[in-house]
Amino acid sequence: MATYGQLNADNLTSSTGGVISPNITSLRNRIINGAMVIDQRNAGASVTPSGTGKSYLIDRWCYLSSQTSKFAFQQNAGSVTPPNGFINYLGATSQSAYTVGSSDYFLLSQYIEGLNVADLGWGTSNAKSVTFSFWAYSSLTGNFGLTINNNNNYYYPYLYSIPVANTWTYITVTIPGPTSGTWLTTNGQGIAIQFSLGAGSSLVGTSGTWTSTGYLGATGQVNVVGTNGATFYITGVQLEVGTQATSFDYRPYGTELALCQRYYETSYYPGYVVPTNACPNYVHISIGNASQSYVGAAGAGNAQTTGYVYYRVNKRIQAPTVVTYSYSASTTGVASKGWTGADLSASTAIVNNTASFGFSIYNNSGSTATVDGFSIMIHYTSYAEL
Amino acid sequence: MYKLLDQTKLQKFVWRDSDGAQIPFYLDNTDYQQFVRDIKSGAQLNDAEGNPITGSALTTFLETLP
Repeated sequence: MATYGQLNADNLTSSTGGVISPNITSLRNRIINGAMVIDQRNAGASVTPSGTGKSYLIDRWCYLSSQTSKFAFQQNAGSVTPPNGFINYLGATSQSAYTVGSSDYFLLSQYIEGLNVADLGWGTSNAKSVTFSFWAYSSLTGNFGLTINNNNNYYYPYLYSIPVANTWTYITVTIPGPTSGTWLTTNGQGIAIQFSLGAGSSLVGTSGTWTSTGYLGATGQVNVVGTNGATFYITGVQLEVGTQATSFDYRPYGTELALCQRYYETSYYPGYVVPTNACPNYVHISIGNASQSYVGAAGAGNAQTTGYVYYRVNKRIQAPTVVTYSYSASTTGVASKGWTGADLSASTAIVNNTASFGFSIYNNSGSTATVDGFSIMIHYTSYAEL
Repeated sequence: MYKLLDQTKLQKFVWRDSDGAQIPFYLDNTDYQQFVRDIKSGAQLNDAEGNPITGSALTTFLETLP
């Protein structure tokens, strides 16, 4: 007769961090691309944001700052060995020794769509606690800052310690659900997760306390931006319901890519930087009779819609931004001839209509452009980020 | 810097010079939100022919935005 035992334990702890959970993909992690695997835009290349607006780095992760060109970001920057169970991380490297002004901020962020955290009940009396966990690595030591907020009127600054330089440290933070604040449960911005790489004295607040003051860091935090060449790396970022961190919810690559594509999609194959000349993963659009010019100011083709591109994943919003690129020279707004790949003239790939499921293009060059091979080809990106 | 694209279409777009993005006039689009902020703070906007839109013409344009 078979016998069955019973395991009595509050939890089983993994040797690589976190409580062991059933080996299923549950989508319990509200962070997308928390293992830093997907990099559709840059394919592992380094980027140094030169503006102060949002700059998307690897998929779903963006940088926002008050000063330009203070950090370079790269998937697997510095080529250190990631924590066990991971093959990628996102790295930030300080480009100077900047003295932080009182109102300066330098934020590595992920904005979570409200629809994906609606069950948390934040801003209500039924607000659920969450646990935020991640691996961090820095050339500096000390207390580092982060903030979880609604980017509007409720903020939770937090200090965490990296005690040993150039060593991965596993961090877990349990955050009581806020019963106040305005937390969107729509396709807008629900929760912002922000690692503070520097914050001025007017923007840091007491660790571990919800506040309506717009803090973008925690009092006493290390300002990574203040040390030239300082590094800060993260991976295994997870936000989940409950008061304990579970093992990382490592999803299949295709699933993670599709989750990212709700916000950004490109025709360039993974591994190609956007844009790359003559990338073979182009979109080929049949336009019918090869004897006709497909466009022309004086012909039937004038301002004519020439093709439609359907996305692989519907986008977050009804009307995403689109960038079209030619095949040969990656010129924006330009289509290429379908057989030879030769680029047509300017404004031959102008977006006519953009929808959550795709976009159409038309010619707006004002002159005839004769194609070959019964077709045109383009590359594209579609942007619907938060 | 931005340039208006053909405004006779059902959907209206603006071209962003820095990266060739074609941004629809749509409130939930964060690029559109940034476009409005940029123009209100003095960024240059050109018409489809490349002529700067300034003064009362710019004021009128801003009033017609969604």
